[in-house]
Amino acid sequence: MKHSTSTRLALRNTLRRPTRTVLTAGMVVCSVALLLVALSWLRGMFGGLLTTAAALDGHVRIVTRPFAAREELVPLYENIAETAPLVERLRAAPRVTAVLPRIVTGVTVSVGEEIGDVLAPLIGGELSYFRDKLGVADKLTAGRFFSGSGDEVIAGVKLVEELGAKLGDELLLLGMTQDGSLSPIKPKLVGIVRMGGGRLDQQLFVPLPAVQFLTDIEGGATELLVYGERFDEAPQLARELAALPELATYDVRAWSVREPWKSLSGTMRAIEGVIVAVIVFLTALGIWNTMMMSVLERTHEIGVLRALGLSRWGTVRMFVGEALAIAFVGGLLGLALGAFPAWWLQEHGIHLGSRVAASSNVVVSETVYGRLTWDAALSSLGLGLLMACLGSLVPALRAASIEPVSAMRSGR
Amino acid sequence: MSNMRRGVSYLCCGMCLFLGSLTSAQDAAPPTAEQLLASMDKNLTFEARKTRTLMTVEGRRTRSYEMVSYGRGEEDAAMEYVAPARDKGTRMLKLGDELWIYLPGVDRVQKISGHMLREGMMGSDVSYEDMLASRELRKRYNAKVTGAAELDGRSCWVLELKAKDDGVTYPKRITYVDKQTYIPIKQELYALSGMLLKTWTMADVKEFPNGRKFPTKMTVVDHVKKQSVTRIEFREVEFNVAFPREVFSVRWLERR
Repeated sequence: MKHSTSTRLALRNTLRRPTRTVLTAGMVVCSVALLLVALSWLRGMFGGLLTTAAALDGHVRIVTRPFAAREELVPLYENIAETAPLVERLRAAPRVTAVLPRIVTGVTVSVGEEIGDVLAPLIGGELSYFRDKLGVADKLTAGRFFSGSGDEVIAGVKLVEELGAKLGDELLLLGMTQDGSLSPIKPKLVGIVRMGGGRLDQQLFVPLPAVQFLTDIEGGATELLVYGERFDEAPQLARELAALPELATYDVRAWSVREPWKSLSGTMRAIEGVIVAVIVFLTALGIWNTMMMSVLERTHEIGVLRALGLSRWGTVRMFVGEALAIAFVGGLLGLALGAFPAWWLQEHGIHLGSRVAASSNVVVSETVYGRLTWDAALSSLGLGLLMACLGSLVPALRAASIEPVSAMRSGR
Repeated sequence: MSNMRRGVSYLCCGMCLFLGSLTSAQDAAPPTAEQLLASMDKNLTFEARKTRTLMTVEGRRTRSYEMVSYGRGEEDAAMEYVAPARDKGTRMLKLGDELWIYLPGVDRVQKISGHMLREGMMGSDVSYEDMLASRELRKRYNAKVTGAAELDGRSCWVLELKAKDDGVTYPKRITYVDKQTYIPIKQELYALSGMLLKTWTMADVKEFPNGRKFPTKMTVVDHVKKQSVTRIEFREVEFNVAFPREVFSVRWLERR
């Protein structure tokens, strides 16, 4: 019997028992819709997290090796003493779009005459870093962006609330030099920013020269943040930069291999995998059930077909084909059903609230958006077809193992 | 002739006795630990002192500071940095267990928390407490002489000091006291766990009125902080000076 015959039989069989077909298709529709929404949401949430992280901390980050070894202690003395020659060299490297020095340190912040005890992270960077990578200028809730005068500070909205400060106030920032001496600066508060992530809204942003003075790292920085064309190409960029002789003694890493993103990336993939596996398994189980019922009901018919020349392989192909045909139609309907919720999540997101965002150890926006992509849609459809294959395989093999004579004798 | 012979014999015996007594004197019992501590305290503590000091910190980078400081008794001290330019005008005031620092760049006085007294001053190996306090050892430690040693060509008594109470920064010290000057030319400062925290050496001892001897050079090595040595040189030292009372007040910190 020809291959095309088993295919025609498979398609014909989908219409023979409409109820069972609808039931099977319905399971696939729901599963594919659920997969589309889940994948869009997870990839949107995580993708947003990673995009923000890569913008904040650079696609590739360069620090001294001793700094990398003791990073949690923020060892200012393990700095890159003179960044200018290295920056110039890196900017000339292929696929590098920006190289930005940065110093991050902790300070005590106070307003007015009394020195308080509010601690805050202080980020020192170039104006282009704040404007283009962090988007500070676009996220101001009050005041203005830096004018370039150097003695200015922009503060996160939560920190400003905690201090009771207002625009125009001089903030006393008391930190330490790289040698461990107390060191103060007193910039004017020119802007208040809502970055949309709990931790960032408690930070201070100061132009790099002032922070270099504060920490006594004149001309230097603790980190160089390198940006390429795409953040997901960072590992390749890191490998290329690490091969430069000028960087032989430095720690050069892509964002994806730095914590917490490295662990988070694995965790998110695992979560996605578990969700997908559960949905696929349950749906495949349902398809297995309906297909097995179909095999048992059509034992006599299978015997006749086998007697007429349908091979075992043709039998398998017939049943799997039937399931795939149902799953394909169900999958398309599932995509249509899931597209609207996925689109809605992309447009409106889910508001986690400031408490959740603030309590997170990674930068999390208060509102998290999904991301509906062709990749998510095709993945969902593909998984629908996989469910059909997995669910129909055992019944198909069962059908293929039926002996024609005994099947015809059964009269079923 | 026999009288002469007798006289010579008496003379020889007398000389032997005399020489014997000299030997005995040299082998006399060493001073007690309390006596050594008292001698050290007599040299190193004061009612009033003014110094001009150069402190050089050799670590990841080498930097130098010049300060003028005033000491009153065991616990009170005032210090003003006169160099380098970045730190010029920075003032510190210690009264008892309280420490204030004046930051000229922002014209602000900052009170330092108590525990910070044990932090390195200006990032050096010398803590604020080490530098600004001048406490009598005999009040804070029980001591015993454990032996003698030769150090840099100087004969020393070796003292083991154990703190009388738990609040002392260095619960245990091994001190090498110069037998001639009663200056502790080397001190090993230990934590309660027995870990060696710092080694403090003193040299270039000068004599002052009233028989006081005082080292004008010191070196501190912090064994917890690797690759760091702090050298202190007292370029000018005066004891029992009179200075204005307002030096030991917060008002002095803020004066222009």
